Amino acid sequence: MRRRLPRRLRLGIGVLLCGLAAVSVGPLLLPDPQAILDPRGAGLLPPLARVFVIKLADGTVLAGKALRRSGDKVLLWRAESWLELPSSQVRELGQRVFLAGSDALGRDVAARLASAGRISLAVGFLSLALAVLLGTLVGLVSGLGPSLLDRALMALVDATLALPLLFVLLAASAFLRPQTATVVLLLGLSSWMGVARLVRGQTLAVRERPWFLAAQGLGLPPWRLAAFHVLPHVATPLLQDATLRLGDLILLEASLSFLGFGVPPPVPSWGNMAAEGFEVWRLAWWLPVLPGLAVALVVLAFALVAEGLGELARGEA
Amino acid sequence: MTARLFRRLFASLLVVWAVASATFFLASLAPGDLATKLADPRIPPAARERLREHYGLHRPLGQRYLAWLSGVVTGNLGDSFLYRRPVTQVLAQALPNTALLASVGLGLELVLGVVLGLVQVRRPHGFWDRVLSAFSLIAYAVPTFLVAAGLLWLFAYRWPVFPASHMTGLTAPADFWTTLADRARHLALPAITVGVTGCGAVARYLRGALLDEQAQAYILGALARGASRRRVLLLHALPNAALPLLTVLGLSLPFLVSGTLVIEVLFSWPGMGQVFYSAVTARDIPLIQAATILVTAAVVAGNWLADAAYALADPRIRR
Amino acid sequence: MQARSKTALAILCCAVLLAACRRQNSLPPPQTAEPIHGGEVVVALAQDLSGFNEYTGFAESTELAILDLLFPSLLTEQPDYQLHPPSFAPALAKAWEFSEDNRTLTLYLRENARWSDGTPVTAEDVAFTFRVQKDRRLAWPGQEIKDFIEGVEVVSPTVVRFRFSRVYPYQLMDANDGHIVPAHVWGKVPLEDWPHTDFSKLLVTSGPFRVATHLPNQTLVLARDPNYWDQPKPYLDRVVFRVLPEVSQQLAQLFAGQVDLVLMVPPREAASVKQDPKLELVEVPSRVWGYVGWNNRRPPLNDRRVRRALSLAINRKALVETVYWGYARLANGPIPSTMWAYNKNLPVFPYDPQQAQALLDAAGVRDSDGDGVREWGGKPFTIELLYPGVNPLRAQAAVLIQADLAKVGIAVRPTPMEFTAMMARQEAGNFDAVLSAWEEATKVDLTSLWVTPSPTTGSNNFIGYSNPEVDHLAAQAREESDLAKVKLFLDRAQELIVEDQPVTFLYEGVQLVGLSRRIKGADINPSSVFFNLPEWYLAP
Repeated sequence: MRRRLPRRLRLGIGVLLCGLAAVSVGPLLLPDPQAILDPRGAGLLPPLARVFVIKLADGTVLAGKALRRSGDKVLLWRAESWLELPSSQVRELGQRVFLAGSDALGRDVAARLASAGRISLAVGFLSLALAVLLGTLVGLVSGLGPSLLDRALMALVDATLALPLLFVLLAASAFLRPQTATVVLLLGLSSWMGVARLVRGQTLAVRERPWFLAAQGLGLPPWRLAAFHVLPHVATPLLQDATLRLGDLILLEASLSFLGFGVPPPVPSWGNMAAEGFEVWRLAWWLPVLPGLAVALVVLAFALVAEGLGELARGEA
Repeated sequence: MTARLFRRLFASLLVVWAVASATFFLASLAPGDLATKLADPRIPPAARERLREHYGLHRPLGQRYLAWLSGVVTGNLGDSFLYRRPVTQVLAQALPNTALLASVGLGLELVLGVVLGLVQVRRPHGFWDRVLSAFSLIAYAVPTFLVAAGLLWLFAYRWPVFPASHMTGLTAPADFWTTLADRARHLALPAITVGVTGCGAVARYLRGALLDEQAQAYILGALARGASRRRVLLLHALPNAALPLLTVLGLSLPFLVSGTLVIEVLFSWPGMGQVFYSAVTARDIPLIQAATILVTAAVVAGNWLADAAYALADPRIRR
Repeated sequence: MQARSKTALAILCCAVLLAACRRQNSLPPPQTAEPIHGGEVVVALAQDLSGFNEYTGFAESTELAILDLLFPSLLTEQPDYQLHPPSFAPALAKAWEFSEDNRTLTLYLRENARWSDGTPVTAEDVAFTFRVQKDRRLAWPGQEIKDFIEGVEVVSPTVVRFRFSRVYPYQLMDANDGHIVPAHVWGKVPLEDWPHTDFSKLLVTSGPFRVATHLPNQTLVLARDPNYWDQPKPYLDRVVFRVLPEVSQQLAQLFAGQVDLVLMVPPREAASVKQDPKLELVEVPSRVWGYVGWNNRRPPLNDRRVRRALSLAINRKALVETVYWGYARLANGPIPSTMWAYNKNLPVFPYDPQQAQALLDAAGVRDSDGDGVREWGGKPFTIELLYPGVNPLRAQAAVLIQADLAKVGIAVRPTPMEFTAMMARQEAGNFDAVLSAWEEATKVDLTSLWVTPSPTTGSNNFIGYSNPEVDHLAAQAREESDLAKVKLFLDRAQELIVEDQPVTFLYEGVQLVGLSRRIKGADINPSSVFFNLPEWYLAP
């Protein structure tokens, strides 16, 4: 009989798959996230707004909310007035729909959300990889090595866990040029401690097992012991922790970018989109809210997956 | 146990020193020398040289580091460029405000979390349990700036119940009670934001811990002796489940402090977070260094104290 | 007033200079009905004062405007610089006269001017202030202003005499620059200790208001000073400055009625302010002008043809209309069109991409491999355009410039930077182009921006522009005492600068001030938003 996966896990994975699809396919279908379109005419439009786009003979592009023809003139409602353009000057005429609205520069918000999703997820994954690598290494060394080293490393880990992350990250970002690579580095370096603790705990548990002692007795070198006899048992709890940690990292990156010290504009990140949106929230409330919701959704999904994995593990045990 | 605590203490001091030194060296790498920041470009180069000398920038890095370190230890952390006052003064004014916000926020978080946890446990897997579990998860996932923005819009602009920013009102403070009421009104929204974003974690922890406790033998024994469920829950299970809450709270202290940073910026609350943010934006190096050291030390100390308190409180560990 | 470089930490909102009628968009003159005494006005500030002593700080124009309310000046500079250099009205000095040879200026101070601790304001304070201004240890940015003043003499407690080393049109302005500070209190602190003294503890002021409360980074409350010499003003009881770093916060509170005055309304929000019946929008023509500064030392930007081509290729009119929503005007030259020294006959650079392409080809910046991007020195010609990242208007402008120049085959990389990092690169000459702005002083002096920089004096000419003829004209203008001749020199210099296009002139700004209609009697003009604050009063 096939056992069904826990509901949470299914829900979480479902949301994640949708998100991944949106983020990978979206940028192919949606317009260019960096392309500005006549800020006066197409700026700060609500979701599902439609504009008429006119391209003139000299290359200028204008957008407006309504279009009328009158004789040999084309009238465009733009910037609270009718703009008269002789038909001879008009090279192209078209329409655009903004699925999620437009920002102050007339850029497509849906496209930017998808693009930002790629960036935020990439930053999250890369910094997670760094944290997991570093943390696993330290955890294994701590668990398998001499007890003095273990005590020293753990005391350091416990103390470093107490650092107020946002402050430290902000201070570091203040001195380094804000760049995506810097953000990945800083986030990774600030998250490895929890992983180290987890891996160490698991390693210590495994150390007492008979089959491990046997392998040790056989004289296998430590790195083989670590790779083939400890790691497989660490994998499952590590996966659960990593999933949850990924959500945390994405949240942290969003806050950092929101404050202006994460991913630098004009590269979109959910955090810096929210910050830009805040400046005009009175005119376009969806601009700060949509990226915030995107973050919430993704983090929620990861949390659900993590919990589901936990339930799965408990079910098996 | 004391040995472990001492090791932790030593490690904590090491970490604070490491962080402090890191800020110093990072600052020396920072683009935009201090002299550029201070000096208007129209000032002749000779005068700028004099300014550099005044701030000791002509000495080699190692010397500057030692001088700075001795200053830190004696309490002289330099002057802030932004405020033209000793950095310690600026921080001394900001710290109590953050402490106020953090403690009230933490209290709210606890109260909300405990209440939620208790409600969830009354009927496990029931309707309320599921709804509140979902709420906890959502509260954890939603970024702080969104929660703050939402509350701000709802209760400060849409329905002007609370003030939108700052810590004090505009009218001159009258008597103690008016000042207290005014302070409370300004504190409301920021503290609620802290409470809402953090209560989820507390509720989830407590729910799990209470469920575990309820399975214990002594609970069954009390129920068998005729005690009501409520009494058993509140008087027997809760205190034991709440004990590890100390550690959870201790661990959440750094997140609390980080969380208040965003909240202080959004609500213009004049605490460490806002001062720090202004300092970072303006590249006010002495202030950044001092604030980082102070906050790190405070949080690391708080964590260590929580650890010690837990060790003291739990007889099982004291042995 | 001297030039101050426009720092871009706050959002710069410069709109159009609706030129001709200077009073067209300012409020009507104060009403003749009896003003009501009392009440308070709340002003939103983006940044708290960096200190109360302008000689140790690096005060912004807004900060200086606030210090105007607390510390006296000898004279009040009038905002009438459109047809001639600004005139002066009495302030601390009730009368003044020049000697026969114009080398001595005698000022007669008011007898009833008092510091907030009751001590009279005397000539001793003026002399002390002069010593402070000249002191090399303090490195006050305005020090050069006092170069031609040899000494300040105390003739009697109410009579002070300035001695000049030469005669020139700006003697009165130079003597007046800088607030007077209290000798009897601040004089007790040795000057070398001034940079780290907290003057808020030694606060003794003399003006229409004095400091009632200062909560750093939150609120500054100014209360009416009963000792002010121009009784019964000020009419208001208090002016409260609320520090709100985010413009969106400032506006939200303005609309909610919690704040009465916002100093820089972004152009996008101007319509909302105008539509609100409780508020009004005042457009103040400013002397700020924005530009793209090309690195004149770096090839191929050192070739005038390339720079002229870049100016022709940027659709400046569309840029101004898009970014500033019509609240700005096209800038043509180094001196804003609202000023008396503006050369009305300057040629206007049109938007002409065709001619731009021709010039670029002639200069050797060609697209040899047909990929649509021009090359220079074998590599694709890319311009890194630096701008302060915190300023959204600059960000918009940068993106539009990128789009325009792409059409003529030049790749632009807009690079947002943190302000001090940008300044460092400017200083080092390590940049291609910078998007920036400049506030022209009421004293028109081309020296700091357009004269070849020398290693001994400070200069704002970071782009490295050098034209010996312009240098010569600027020097002549500086030393000439006949205003008509000065204008001729300046006109010719402007022509040369426009021909050389060391920068692409973008826009001339207008400051948009949003204020509550409760405020009456305010004359918001280009000198300072708080120009006649003592005369403001509230509607009943």
